[in-house]
Amino acid sequence: MSEKIGIVAYGVYIPRNRITVDEIASVWGEDANEIKMQLQVFEKSVPFPDEDVATMAVEAARNAIKQWRGESEKIGAIYVGSESHPYAVKPTATIVAAAIGAEGQTTAADLEFACKAGTAGMQMCFGLMQSNMIKVGLAIGSDSSQAKPKDPLEYTAGAGSAAFLIGKQNVIAELEGMYSYTSDTPDFWRREGATFPSHGQRFTGMPAYFDHIIKATKGLLEKINRKPEDYDYVTFHQPNTKFPLRVAKMLGFSKEQVEKSLACKYIGNTYSASSMIGFAKILDDAQPGDRVLVTSYGSGAGSDSFSFRITENIEKIRDRSKTVQYYIENKRNISYGLYSRYKGILKV
Amino acid sequence: MEPPKIWRERKERYLGIGIMCEDCKKKNFPKTRICPDCGSENVKPYKIAERGTLKYFTQIMNTGDELVFNTPYVVGLVELEDGIKVTAQIVDCDFKDLKKGIKLEQTFRVIARNGKEGLIKYGFKFRPI
Amino acid sequence: MSNEVYIIGTGQTKFGEFFDLNIGDLASEAVSKAIKNAGIGKNEIRTLFIGSTVSNSLSQSSIGGICTRSCSLSSNAYRIESGNASGAAAFHHAFLSIKSGLYDVVVVLGIDKLSDYVQNGTIEKILASSIDYQWEYEMGATLTGLYSFLTQAHMEKYGTTLEQLAYIPTKNHQNGVLNPKAQYRYAIPIEKFLNAKRIADPIGRFDIATPCDGAAAIILASERYIENKKTHSYKVKILSSSVGSDTLALQHREKLTELKATKIAANDAYHKAKLTASDINLAEVHDSHPIGEILAIEDLGLVPKGEGGKASVEGLTALNGKITVNPSGGLKARGDPFGATGIAQLIEIVEQIRGNAGKRQVNDVQYGLTQNVMGTGVMSYVSILGRGEN
Repeated sequence: MSEKIGIVAYGVYIPRNRITVDEIASVWGEDANEIKMQLQVFEKSVPFPDEDVATMAVEAARNAIKQWRGESEKIGAIYVGSESHPYAVKPTATIVAAAIGAEGQTTAADLEFACKAGTAGMQMCFGLMQSNMIKVGLAIGSDSSQAKPKDPLEYTAGAGSAAFLIGKQNVIAELEGMYSYTSDTPDFWRREGATFPSHGQRFTGMPAYFDHIIKATKGLLEKINRKPEDYDYVTFHQPNTKFPLRVAKMLGFSKEQVEKSLACKYIGNTYSASSMIGFAKILDDAQPGDRVLVTSYGSGAGSDSFSFRITENIEKIRDRSKTVQYYIENKRNISYGLYSRYKGILKV
Repeated sequence: MEPPKIWRERKERYLGIGIMCEDCKKKNFPKTRICPDCGSENVKPYKIAERGTLKYFTQIMNTGDELVFNTPYVVGLVELEDGIKVTAQIVDCDFKDLKKGIKLEQTFRVIARNGKEGLIKYGFKFRPI
Repeated sequence: MSNEVYIIGTGQTKFGEFFDLNIGDLASEAVSKAIKNAGIGKNEIRTLFIGSTVSNSLSQSSIGGICTRSCSLSSNAYRIESGNASGAAAFHHAFLSIKSGLYDVVVVLGIDKLSDYVQNGTIEKILASSIDYQWEYEMGATLTGLYSFLTQAHMEKYGTTLEQLAYIPTKNHQNGVLNPKAQYRYAIPIEKFLNAKRIADPIGRFDIATPCDGAAAIILASERYIENKKTHSYKVKILSSSVGSDTLALQHREKLTELKATKIAANDAYHKAKLTASDINLAEVHDSHPIGEILAIEDLGLVPKGEGGKASVEGLTALNGKITVNPSGGLKARGDPFGATGIAQLIEIVEQIRGNAGKRQVNDVQYGLTQNVMGTGVMSYVSILGRGEN
């Protein structure tokens, strides 16, 4: 590769409200301790009524731009991946473009691929970069996921956003390779007009999450001739905490390699933002020379796997914007009553 | 919640674009074609400060239908670091804990929703730093 | 001959909720009573000036033709809008039309029908049309929310207390008991105001004037007309009708501890009437929110700046106190049919000057003043009436 391409800046956003597993379990008469042990999730993030995928995407994008310190007009592509865009028809990406001052000579689109639409946007930006079609691209994963009351998903379906600026100048995490694996696997879906998604219960595990992540990650490692132990950190899609820990083990990664990325314990599953927030959490602490592996998973189904090497530029951008830890700690707990109002379960 | 109005106002609502007068140097928001202070036509776009101080605030219980989804909410008079004053909602806070004089920063939120099928209006609000 | 302007007749509906009456019904009652009161013929009326904030603006905003037909008038008619001060604005323009020598007899009608808007949020939206709709209302404020800022500013600078503020509606409800045209003819103990749920802190649920239905009409005549007719037993002279202005949005004002528009209007009104504030012992002012009355009596110069709350508690503004303020019950107890309010204020002064105010009659009335405010004070209208020389 003649020129380094990679991440030049990143930003996240997580809404301030949390609802605990205990609070949800108490409504349905379930055993909270059993659920917490099973999922290893303690609480999840909940947006305010005046927050949605677009507002969270803008907040994350603005954090990324603040870290980057570049000019928004130079952003040549904006992709927003989500399974909960505020409009069925009308892009979120144009709202983001206007709200970061990047309207004009840019391409923009909304993407949907369950929980991996954000990393699909990253791939598209890398492609445009590699072919010299743009100078800087912005890929965002943002979701405010819905879960049917009493469904097991209700304990984890959270909200959050992560934005990555991709470019060639002042790269903080150089792209070493990427690899994807896709198959038509109906493990999780939501039909047009349906409020809540449906899923295939245990079918979402082995043939879906595990199979795709393993194939994409192994594919990448083979392609660029690397082994799990070459990496300092790894992050996977986090529908709960148990799955990424188990898939890490299956792939031969240690608990220590994956542990840093596990934001899910405190904010739940942020869908399109999940593996990206995990990556951002790693970047918040990563040192020059560190290697990071990122593998997303989107139901339906597919996985995108990326290998990055952290550069010395990471030191320069530290503390320029809010970290994942800041958002994890900046919280207030709400009752199930308020939760149902905020989520629109309670109709007024 | 008319489409042309939402489109026309987006730079003001999303980015806080007002004006600065090249003659009297006064800054103003929202924008006007001529300077409201000196009448000069020599005005240029100016982005208002992102941070400010809470001057007055109250909690709104009743309001028009497109805003009511968010009630009760806090609205305040905010004096920005550049001296411009704006009326805006204060979010990410509990009314009972708010204090006059606290520092605030801009955030991007849903201002109004036109029912279930109409447009969504976005714009700036403030949150405590 | 000078061109003085006189009030020669008044008419008013009761204020309240009249689900079975429409705009035309209300207009007809007020105008017919005023014409009868003035003892003039309908054909003498040249123009009908209608002050209406809303009328039926969600459907029929041009209500001139509705009113002339309902009142069986063949005059021309204009609707004049100046938010909650539409009545005073119509009066001001009617006054000018005679002052200019153009007309001899005109009718001013203040009217609004708000009981139709029973769905949540509609009244708030209507009230929002007289604040900065785009950069106050759409940003989250309401008229009451902005009055909360005005209240806080006054409390902060002058130490005005919630108890002092609560005294205003308490006093106005006491006066309202004595007014047969008032919507609320009962006294409310001060504790009820103080203990009520805050709907825009520090403003409580019961502090605010209630939008309702009503119409009020006044017949104005030129000096020339009166001299020719010599039929009018008790005429009231308009000594001045003035208006002041300020910015629409509070955020564009230098200070929130006064209504600049009221000060400007008052100075002009005193000057034109060749009077000072010390000559006034009777005023009808815009008490849509308690701070409104405090700001009014201070900015009109009736009490020293900052002492409006204290003066109220000390009874200075009570019925037959040093300066009787809102003997009618004010917007609070009389009810607030926006456009009709400004005219009802003037009618109260006319009744007081004529000695027709019954149990709420103020002693020694030589002059009376009205103050009617649009929104949070973007426009303020001040008029001074006096006894006509007989």
